[in-house]
Amino acid sequence: MRSFGYLLWNEWLKMFKKRSFFIPYLLLAGMVIFVAFILSEFAQGSADGYGFAEMALSTRGMGAMLTLLAIVMTAGTVSKEHSMGTIKFLLIRAQTRTKILASKYVMVLIYSATLVVFLGVIAVLTGQIVFGPGDGAGATTFSEVLRAGVYNLVYTAVYVTLAFTAGILTRSTGSAIGIGMFMIVAESLAVQLLARYSWSKYLLFFNVDLSMYDGGAGSVFPGMSLMFSIIVLAAYLLFFLMAGFITFNKRDVA
Amino acid sequence: MNGSYAPAEREAHGGAGNAAMAVSETSQAVLSVAGVTKAIGNRKIVDGLTFDIYRGEVVGLLGPNGAGKTTTIRMIVGLIEMTSGDVFVQGHSIKKDFVNAIRYIGGIIENPEFYPYMSGYDNLRQYQRMAEGVSIGRIMEVVKLVGLQDAIHKKVRAYSLGMRQRLGIAQALLHSPSILILDEPTNGLDPAGIREMRDYLKKIAKEEGISILVSSHLLSEMELMCSRVVVIQEGKLLTERLIGEHSADNVQQQVMISLRVNDVELAQQTAKLHQGIQVLDAQPDNGTVTVQLPEEDIPSLVDSLSAARVRVYRIEECKSSLEDEFLKWTGGNRIA
Repeated sequence: MRSFGYLLWNEWLKMFKKRSFFIPYLLLAGMVIFVAFILSEFAQGSADGYGFAEMALSTRGMGAMLTLLAIVMTAGTVSKEHSMGTIKFLLIRAQTRTKILASKYVMVLIYSATLVVFLGVIAVLTGQIVFGPGDGAGATTFSEVLRAGVYNLVYTAVYVTLAFTAGILTRSTGSAIGIGMFMIVAESLAVQLLARYSWSKYLLFFNVDLSMYDGGAGSVFPGMSLMFSIIVLAAYLLFFLMAGFITFNKRDVA
Repeated sequence: MNGSYAPAEREAHGGAGNAAMAVSETSQAVLSVAGVTKAIGNRKIVDGLTFDIYRGEVVGLLGPNGAGKTTTIRMIVGLIEMTSGDVFVQGHSIKKDFVNAIRYIGGIIENPEFYPYMSGYDNLRQYQRMAEGVSIGRIMEVVKLVGLQDAIHKKVRAYSLGMRQRLGIAQALLHSPSILILDEPTNGLDPAGIREMRDYLKKIAKEEGISILVSSHLLSEMELMCSRVVVIQEGKLLTERLIGEHSADNVQQQVMISLRVNDVELAQQTAKLHQGIQVLDAQPDNGTVTVQLPEEDIPSLVDSLSAARVRVYRIEECKSSLEDEFLKWTGGNRIA
């Protein structure tokens, strides 16, 4: 267990030591502050502090930006080792390939979580400073902000896992990013086009946004529930991860 | 003499004699490649390759392009899966017990590649964390051994190829392996760098008793570095030879010398009168005669030449280089 901790720390340093590490955080902060400024200038009274934070975290709002940034950062975790050639040194250590890949995947999830937490904190602070605490019955509560954060984290985790697996299969950072982004764009398209078919409730796209069970904007089919979506998502994640781990374990590094 | 280097030990792996092998400590191979085969489709890139490496030995893996050197090395370190056969490192199977086998191996596969945005030290820390029981002190020890003290905290991006090679060696030595496996370690180095590398490796093999398996296409390099070569062609073992001062050629006591004389014709006739001398070649153009004879007959040959009034300007020993032999073994029509 201790050695797995060391592997995680290694993965963290590989991201952290890059000069580009802070760029996603800066972009998110800049985006939140910019949107808050625009809203307070041109649409006064349209939002309260927590309401703004919830909107910032929502995957139908600014939160989708976070998912894109997480995909860009994590698509290269495996493929960059291939393209830089460092995979050769990485895999001739006294560690199993499964353990090495698991440490990479866990770090990808941790990284996504840091983005969500960072965005949440910035959004709440900005909301409180710019719009002030909401008052009255209609105002958004803090627990709604927290739930929006959790929904965003689930949404991001699914797409990041997809990009992670794409990175293992293609060994190319570019295609992994492309596939991840394509899926996000395809999601809204598929939701519009396929909504009339009842089988589409088993598609990934119709289940990744859990906020639909909480008054969000997703389309809920008859027979779908929060538990249903969680099971469908878990099945997809399991499939992606199995494809990734089996490929990584079998692959000849030439 | 040459090929039958260690047949007894090899047979121990093939049969059910693994337990017996462990008993004879001195002769136990550090690395034992046992019938390794790699097939892609119907083509066998490496075919039933078998050889052993013992403690403190520097062994060269030679072969023409496409002979399967790199594939063999990658199978030994587990980067490529073998189709059949197995590799044992200190008795542990790479196939079944990878983690315990690989910990005795330090390797550089082709060019050493590091994370360019990290310092050399941070790169080594990565590998130190992945190995058990390697202290920070050990990092500084290997850094000193390869002479990188001054540059170790600089980013690897700024390293020259020679510095990267040294960092590669440091990385390979970090966990105190029993065997170093190097694939083309002198690739892209300048003559000074190559010499430096060779000296390091010899020093390591001698002082720390580490065995080294090195593949290279630079034959002259291999000749200077290795005590034994394993030659493969089309994935199969062609021959195993001891080289350098260990070479068995000396046993024959026959030497080949070339003489530079003023009268080739006369020299040839004089030489032919001697018993046990074979005239191999005579070139009147540049006045050289090449003969083969037992070493103790050389003075009498010189005596009779001067008695016959042949003027001798130069006597040189013609050593058959590894290159010549290599071309002989591999059929000569291909470049290594």
